[in-house]
Amino acid sequence: MNLYHNKLAQWAAYGVFFAIIAAVPLFVSDSFLLNQLGTYGVYGLLALSISLCWGFGGILNLGQGIAFGLAAYGMAMTMQMQTQDPESNPIPPFMLNNSLEQLPALWEPFWSTGLGITLALVVPTLFYVIFGNLMFRARVSGPFFAIMSLAMLSALFTIILDMQPYTNGANGITPPQPLTILGTPLDPYGPATYWLVCGLLIALTVGAKLLTQSKFGLLVQAVRGDAERVRFLGYNVAAYETAIYALSGFIAAVAGCCWVILVQYVSPAQLDVSFSVTMVIWAGIGGRLSLLGSMLGAFIIQGGQSYLGDALLSTWLLGLGAFFIIVVRFLPKGLAGLLEMGLGALSSGRRPKQLEPADRANAMAGE
Amino acid sequence: MKVSRRGFIKSTVVAAGAVAAPHVWLPVSSEAWGATLKKGEPIKVGLLFSLTGSLAVPEEDSTLVMQYAIDEINKAGGIAGSPIQPVIVDAKSDFAVYSEKAKELILRDKVIAIFGCYTSASRKAILPTVMANNHLLYYPTCYEGAECTQNTICTGPLANQHSKDLIPFMVQNFGKKVFFVGSNYVWPKESNKNAKVWLQQAGGELLGEEYIPLGSSEFGPVLNKIREAKPSFIFSTVVGASDIAFHKQFKQEGFKVDSMPIASLTTGEIETRAMGNEFGAGHFLSAPYFQALDNPTNKKFVENFLASKYGKNGVTHYNMEETYTSAYVFKYGLEAAAAKLGIENVTPRAIRDNSGGIKVGADVSPEGPIWIDEQNFNCWLVPKIGQCQADGSFKIVKQAAEHVAPDPYSIYPNLGTCTKDGLKAPDGKIRKNVI
Amino acid sequence: MGSLDLNSLINALVLGLSIASIWLLAAIGLTIIYGVVGVINMAHGEFIMLGAYSSYLLQSYFGLPFLLCIPASFVVVAAIGLVIERGLIRYLYNRPLDTLLATWGVSIVLMQAVRLIFGSDPKYLAVPALFSSNLQIGFINLSVFRIVVMAVTALVVAGTWFLFYRTRFGMQVRAVTQNKEMAASFGINASRVYMLTFALGAGLAGVAGSLFGVLNIVLPTMGTAYVVQAFLVVVTGGGTLLGSVFAGGLTGELQSIFAAVTNDTFARFLLFLLIVVFLWFRPQGLFAPRSVRR
Repeated sequence: MNLYHNKLAQWAAYGVFFAIIAAVPLFVSDSFLLNQLGTYGVYGLLALSISLCWGFGGILNLGQGIAFGLAAYGMAMTMQMQTQDPESNPIPPFMLNNSLEQLPALWEPFWSTGLGITLALVVPTLFYVIFGNLMFRARVSGPFFAIMSLAMLSALFTIILDMQPYTNGANGITPPQPLTILGTPLDPYGPATYWLVCGLLIALTVGAKLLTQSKFGLLVQAVRGDAERVRFLGYNVAAYETAIYALSGFIAAVAGCCWVILVQYVSPAQLDVSFSVTMVIWAGIGGRLSLLGSMLGAFIIQGGQSYLGDALLSTWLLGLGAFFIIVVRFLPKGLAGLLEMGLGALSSGRRPKQLEPADRANAMAGE
Repeated sequence: MKVSRRGFIKSTVVAAGAVAAPHVWLPVSSEAWGATLKKGEPIKVGLLFSLTGSLAVPEEDSTLVMQYAIDEINKAGGIAGSPIQPVIVDAKSDFAVYSEKAKELILRDKVIAIFGCYTSASRKAILPTVMANNHLLYYPTCYEGAECTQNTICTGPLANQHSKDLIPFMVQNFGKKVFFVGSNYVWPKESNKNAKVWLQQAGGELLGEEYIPLGSSEFGPVLNKIREAKPSFIFSTVVGASDIAFHKQFKQEGFKVDSMPIASLTTGEIETRAMGNEFGAGHFLSAPYFQALDNPTNKKFVENFLASKYGKNGVTHYNMEETYTSAYVFKYGLEAAAAKLGIENVTPRAIRDNSGGIKVGADVSPEGPIWIDEQNFNCWLVPKIGQCQADGSFKIVKQAAEHVAPDPYSIYPNLGTCTKDGLKAPDGKIRKNVI
Repeated sequence: MGSLDLNSLINALVLGLSIASIWLLAAIGLTIIYGVVGVINMAHGEFIMLGAYSSYLLQSYFGLPFLLCIPASFVVVAAIGLVIERGLIRYLYNRPLDTLLATWGVSIVLMQAVRLIFGSDPKYLAVPALFSSNLQIGFINLSVFRIVVMAVTALVVAGTWFLFYRTRFGMQVRAVTQNKEMAASFGINASRVYMLTFALGAGLAGVAGSLFGVLNIVLPTMGTAYVVQAFLVVVTGGGTLLGSVFAGGLTGELQSIFAAVTNDTFARFLLFLLIVVFLWFRPQGLFAPRSVRR
């Protein structure tokens, strides 16, 4: 029995991971580092969402920036309106420069912090439900869905850039002050914000992990293996695909909100194609079939970019690209797959066997 | 005076009318700038530019010229006896990385000032960090204005300065009818709003206004519209690779530079070289600096810079020159603050507060003397109009007689004026950090 | 704005033809690689970029005239494509999503390698003076270079069609496309067919690159501007040569007309939306081969 597949061992690994990330503020007092680790937590959430959608659902989504970006805009609008005053100063400065005389209706709900955050989470999720439903019912799948999500992302990117009076175009929205919740400002450099992101990451990871072990999770994985066969068994494949896609969108939306709390900024760059592909690269290198592996992939790559990128400059991206090619070529299950093979070899005392039928089906997913 | 970030956040929140915060949420105490300058020890400054990615084309040059300026200052004895030490980071043309690196420079490296950014989007990305830490950003290129913070100093032309001479000059020499073309983002739109004011004063007529998606290289539809409108000249705020495609297709589609030249705010020596001189020749540019400026300081600057190890790209450009002068604005500002407070009491904010009126003289500034406005901390300068020649160099065809005052709110008088304490509304109220 | 008289409409239609030819030229290599080999090649934009750089290299260091640079770029980029196919892609034929990711890695590597070799400052391609002029027939205006692009596109389409439908190699390609195992049992070397097709697709991207370098600017990042558009043409067309020709023509014309009536940004947004809606109705694209469940 491979220890890697032992549920208890898996939960133990997750427990250790959670304990480590939750304990960080006890050892780190450097406010820059705490803020940086907080943003890594956001990247972890995004990797989690990709792993759920692509690793377990078999839906390669190159447009995860849709949920991330829409939610980030929602959060930024909420924070911007917190700094406006309904009486003396009701309109954000950039709108005045774009000759808006009064607050557009689109912005009105964001006066209320609660409603604003709710919208920031609900709108992207709903968008995913509708877009997913349209696509999956038409049986768009595999590479075609990937390209479609890319096209949708590009369309949103273009329109946000163009709607300058409402979104401030390429300059994006820069709330001048941190988020205030219940009269308390949430210092983006403090442990409270770090723990908020960390807590959300832990809760959503546990939820996602439980989901993959449920009957629903099994079915989703079956769809990934062979959608046609599941359809013949009488299941509504499109509904399952939409559900997992929308769930991953919700997680990405949570990530978008947290990101704006930490960096106080959003611009169309968050809906740029390259950022969405970067998320896929995290999961691909870490191991898309493992939620934990995907998150660690995000930490490794972003950490490398932060700490090696300046020294290596262009060579860093060159190395990253080459590393990614090698992982795809030799380790389709990413670094987590390497661990799986290692533990397998350890427990059976012989070389890891060839791909199992189920894995081969994974590899064929989307065809 | 040092202002702690915690104090800053609290005071601004109180100012915004929120309830005072219980302190449990803000336990980490971090000073705004947790370092002290000592005589003889290096003064750290951050250079926050992109060295990789699409923005590397202009920003790599900014980093090089900044290092050159720092070397030059250090060779001449540094600032108040201390050498400047640059901390160079790569923002990777990614606005999220700009934000991360700005935090790193301020909170970890404890630099006393950041020189950086080439686009408004990256500036907006780092401003919350700069303002929350009451730090100091030198923004060394042109921008649209409509911003009033207490933490920035800009050495490039504002939208109100940039086209003030260009539009009347073009109307006078080529005719009243003009077509505006720009990249689709904030700076071109704001620049065009200013240009419309000058156009109206000059009695010109606007035939059309088109914006191209950033990075787009297809100018066919726009050129068709221009062909139908038959303007006397084109006013362009197209940037980057698009600008080069625009000039190339302009010629390829049969437009003649003699009868309908492009008057641009962006197409300088670097752009012309990238498109091939034949496509740039004859068009006009308004900028405070040209490599061909005929004065002894500039001759020395061009010669020394190109001979140095930083001059490998073989050109000096308005953007580079604005970056170069910003190093001297910093030097003089720091010296003024140190003279007043003693070097060990200098903070980023103290430098800024002592920079109003700082003048970089004709012996140092290649574009001629400039000075920093005492209220809005932008730059008084002289925009010049150059015409591109067949060899890719520019010939100065007009130079304003007097310096043009910077005014970030020139087209929004109803919003107020930018003062050193904040944006002063017509009713007298002052709002801080308006971005 | 919003109104369009007859002259402008005709000019917009003519321009649309030119835009269509540019998009089609960008997409044709991708179509072949996708249609035959089944690989979604995310590095296609970088193949285009390599084409522009090889033209630049040959022109400025070896003094090759521009017109000869076009076929030379074909050879250079086809050779690079061949190496990539042998070294990487052929191991991933059963994993379409993984080829998509691996080729994305390839695109990053190519872009950075070019940046390290040539630097990140832009280069330009010099062309004969004739190509920088303009042709006017009545009220219709078109630049000579756009006509050159259209001619090359037509030539490439015709050549590809001839190769695929009138030669022995083309028959082998079609056999392998329809059923790889069956074709192999008739003695066709499928691996060789894939290899040559991939190289051909890459080479055609090289041709596109040497032309786009004249319209635009030679930069390490230049390919990314074309690749999303090229994908949409391929997906809308359904992955066949005929499909791409029609999809390219349709999207190019629509872009030109939308841009003439509104503006470039909004035209692009409309086009993206239309394609998403179209594919919702017809996910298999305009002209799809009968789907084979492998």
